[in-house]
Amino acid sequence: MFSYSSRTASGAFFRRIFVCQACIRQSRRQQQLSAIDSGLLFHRRLLQTSTSTENIVPFRKQLKDEAKRKRLEGGSRPSKKGAKGRDPRLEKWELTVGIEIHAELNTARKLFSSAATSSSEVPNTHVALFDVAFPGTQPHFQKETLIPALRAAIALNCEIQPKSSFDRKHYFYQDQPAGYQITQYYEPFAKDGHITLYDHDGIDPEDGESITIGIKQIQMEQDTAKTVQQPPSTYLLDFNRVSHPLIEIITLPHIHHASTAAACVRKIQSILKSVNAVTAGMEIGGLRADVNVSVRERQRLPETRQGKSYYGVTGLGQRTEIKNLSSFKAVEDSIIAERDRQINVLEAGGVIKGETRGWTLGSVETRKLRGKEGEIDYRYMPDPDLGPVIIGEDIIQHLRGALPMLPDDIANKLVQSPEYGLTMKDAKTLVALDDGDRLEYYLEIVEILRKELSGNAQFLEKIGKVVNNWVLHELGGLFAAAERDWSHAAVPPEKLASVILHLIHRRITGRAAKLLLSTIFYGDPRSVKQIIEDENMTLRPMSREEYLSFARELLDENPDMVNAIKEKRQHGKVMWFVGQMVRRGDEGRVEAEKVEQILREL
Amino acid sequence: MSLLREAQEFIANQAARRSLNAFVSLAERPALFQTIKDAEAKRGRELTNNASGPINGKLIAVKDNICTSDLPTTAASGILKSFTSPYDATVIRQLRDAGGIVAGKTNLDEFGMGSHSIHSFFGPVWQSRNNSRVLTAGGSSGGSAVAVATKQSWAALGTDTGGSVRLPAAYTGIVGYKPSYGLVSRWGVIAYANSLDTIGIFARDSRSAQTLFNAINSHDPKDPTSLLPSTRTQIAELLSRTNRKTALRIGVPLEYNINELQPVVRQAWVRTVHLLTQLGHTIYTVSLPTTKHALSAYYVLAPAEASSNLAKYDGVRFGSRYAGPDASSETDSVLFSKTRRQGFGSEVKRRILLGAYTLSAEAIDNYFIQAQKVRRLVQRDFNRVFSLPNPLLDSKPSSAHQSTVPDAAKGAKVDVLICPTAPTLPPTLEFLDKQTPVDAYMNDVFTVPASLAGLPAVSVPVRSSPSWADKALDGEMVGIQVIAQYGDDDLVLKVAKIVEELGQ
Repeated sequence: MFSYSSRTASGAFFRRIFVCQACIRQSRRQQQLSAIDSGLLFHRRLLQTSTSTENIVPFRKQLKDEAKRKRLEGGSRPSKKGAKGRDPRLEKWELTVGIEIHAELNTARKLFSSAATSSSEVPNTHVALFDVAFPGTQPHFQKETLIPALRAAIALNCEIQPKSSFDRKHYFYQDQPAGYQITQYYEPFAKDGHITLYDHDGIDPEDGESITIGIKQIQMEQDTAKTVQQPPSTYLLDFNRVSHPLIEIITLPHIHHASTAAACVRKIQSILKSVNAVTAGMEIGGLRADVNVSVRERQRLPETRQGKSYYGVTGLGQRTEIKNLSSFKAVEDSIIAERDRQINVLEAGGVIKGETRGWTLGSVETRKLRGKEGEIDYRYMPDPDLGPVIIGEDIIQHLRGALPMLPDDIANKLVQSPEYGLTMKDAKTLVALDDGDRLEYYLEIVEILRKELSGNAQFLEKIGKVVNNWVLHELGGLFAAAERDWSHAAVPPEKLASVILHLIHRRITGRAAKLLLSTIFYGDPRSVKQIIEDENMTLRPMSREEYLSFARELLDENPDMVNAIKEKRQHGKVMWFVGQMVRRGDEGRVEAEKVEQILREL
Repeated sequence: MSLLREAQEFIANQAARRSLNAFVSLAERPALFQTIKDAEAKRGRELTNNASGPINGKLIAVKDNICTSDLPTTAASGILKSFTSPYDATVIRQLRDAGGIVAGKTNLDEFGMGSHSIHSFFGPVWQSRNNSRVLTAGGSSGGSAVAVATKQSWAALGTDTGGSVRLPAAYTGIVGYKPSYGLVSRWGVIAYANSLDTIGIFARDSRSAQTLFNAINSHDPKDPTSLLPSTRTQIAELLSRTNRKTALRIGVPLEYNINELQPVVRQAWVRTVHLLTQLGHTIYTVSLPTTKHALSAYYVLAPAEASSNLAKYDGVRFGSRYAGPDASSETDSVLFSKTRRQGFGSEVKRRILLGAYTLSAEAIDNYFIQAQKVRRLVQRDFNRVFSLPNPLLDSKPSSAHQSTVPDAAKGAKVDVLICPTAPTLPPTLEFLDKQTPVDAYMNDVFTVPASLAGLPAVSVPVRSSPSWADKALDGEMVGIQVIAQYGDDDLVLKVAKIVEELGQ
């Protein structure tokens, strides 16, 4: 899975991301192969879309639900607050949030053994003796696991530490075989990074055009086993996940709005994906966030001497921690709920206690898990079996040079480059959809069309937008209507390119093109050309006379409408006629633009 | 003597001295005899080729905290009382590759925690002198020591974390050798305190110890703390560059002459030093000022690591489990508390508690961190007195350290240190009953410093009576310890041989 450079693909400006995406695709193909020939273990994990038996809501479903909810509420943002209006108490109280994000690294092997990483294999089939803490076994740090971790740290602008080390964090739980987790407490491998969020990332309007959030550190650590509950009292343990490498990203408390916190998690996730640092199958609990929430009185802000401080950020209120949030919605909603709870307590003259709280998806309140007195003392101790990790400047430079383009850069490129000329909204959507698959698909089609239309400047200019429309809206609409997950293969890029090409060359009408796409989408195996021929879709342009008589006929039938346009200047209704004509005309003959032209003449 | 006859004698002794409780489990007899016969045949063939393996066909007892796949590995703990490891420790593989035969698994203090091999799930190990007194065998590798001392095996492997090989060797009157940390693989050694645990060797003479050591002294990629081949080469080069004279510079550390030292032990020490001067070696008194803090530091660090290492024994994946339901929501009991309460002995529990405390947020700065600092100082003490630079440090010593110490105060540089292994002769088990745990910890006062610094050290038996010719007069043997710079293992064994010959 480290064979990035092996594949090159078309797409001049996007070569880097193409390399990476192509590789993902390649490994997916291999994966399908490996289902038959079970030899290619390491590639398998890249495709973890199969449903897990665990009682968690698949990540993708959460995203869908979230999107659905937003649609229902009308308008994307600001959702609730926009509708209900801002809580006036927020004039007095300021929220502060810091986030800890745990993400599964995309590695072939576990952190301290040569066992393969896996999440959808038969339980307890990828477990080395050390992973289950057998007496006498010792850890073997797998150096390769550093590569995706370093990529993540570079992409998040961190300072890579030349020397870092591993510590043991002790607590008893059945999913923790050694009785401790090996993590980096005293000397993490990356420190002092930052991430900038823009308004189009979905930050709170009060944060303005952009906000930069500090990242305190990133550390490497082991994942735990999976507990599968068998009610009423049986717990099955699957140790395949034990010691899967994770990174924990800890932000500074620089966030003051719940929506910004969610945007931050979302953006970190998309960055991690784009640099291929994390597993593709994030929906299987691959990303978990803990949030630290506090509120403070705005009036007291200048008195920074008071209050709590964290890594140089001073004057903070007492924080509580909400653990184990596994969706953006959970991040946003739990922060709002906890903020409001804290304000309620403070306004009633109470005191916030430092405690750990939990959140259930769909609930309206955080709940107390354990108080300060119940806090676990993790008794951090340097692992005496593991030496320090020394990272050379050469590998950092190499990885920096080979880093794929970040989502922000890609989106900017799509907006600024005349070859694409997209709106920021469309660009962001393309980048964000389907782990970058949609973008790749888009770029492939643009590339095909650019070759076909080379030298044809008037068309070249339009390609970027036209293809976007077809990929995002027309094809996207078909997937949505069919309630199917995105797939490259439903309409192969060459076929959609061919449809668009026919349209651009005005060999078919727009209506015919949509019909064509739908036919292919629902499994028609014939070539585009063949379908056009078989179904008699070729545009047989009507003469001007034909158009004129057709239009007059229609106008005579609808004198009211004509009046409305002429007398009341309701020019919008012209389009009604256009629609009527296209609908009534022979299949594949009427071109809407011409109709409009003719109608306006009349 | 033929291998078979030698082995038969050992096996006969195993039966005759069963009451000493040296073994937890013994190799199955029929298979054992077959292996010996095969070794004999191999030796017959190889003698003609002139390539006989030095430990071929030798019976070697193995401490029961070293994993074997054919015999159980219990660490003398109730929690592992019926545990058999799915794999062999690297040293076991190395022994077998060299033709050695595992005679059985020897008794110990649970998980290696103890100085008298009395904290065992399988009952205490003991020895007797003059057929009457019931004495401690020392610990924690007491079973291995007794097996060798009473000729139940040719040699034995133990583990030495703070003196667990050297102390029982001294108490039982045999050679006990702890190599430099990192030379012998720990893969398959049940961890007590990883940063200190070292495989050690028991033998009836230093030559046999050297022979066995040669069979297991190599890099093992499975042990992340195993010394790399490149470092081994560097050390060899450093040693070959060092121009050593036959007359050695021998250091006598002043801080080891404590009030609690038994006169008979002091006498043996003085006499050994005296005899060494007669052989032409020069004696220097040296100062190791941090010695007095070493024991406290050890009893912070070792339990800290132990509390961490023993967290894995929860009865979930291996080992014994409490019979009934373990967790209870009614009593709010912790998931594995019953299993751990039942499975661990009192000394282990004591050290887990100690370690959990010294690592706790409120105590770590005052205990664990301080102890690590002391450990560094102990190391620095040794580096200051040895003429050989520590090969693990940069060749250039820190200039700051150099300049602050005036030449006159630097003192003499020596090749090896000679001191007692233990302050007293082995006490009786009856006496131990009246001791507090801390009294027992005191036994490790002379062995712990070399452990903290990872240095090679060997305990050699010398006769306590001045009238050596009259062996019947007093049979007491005193353990004298030889310590050298890190990696200077050959010298330690060479000096051990000299002392051994003087003490006969």
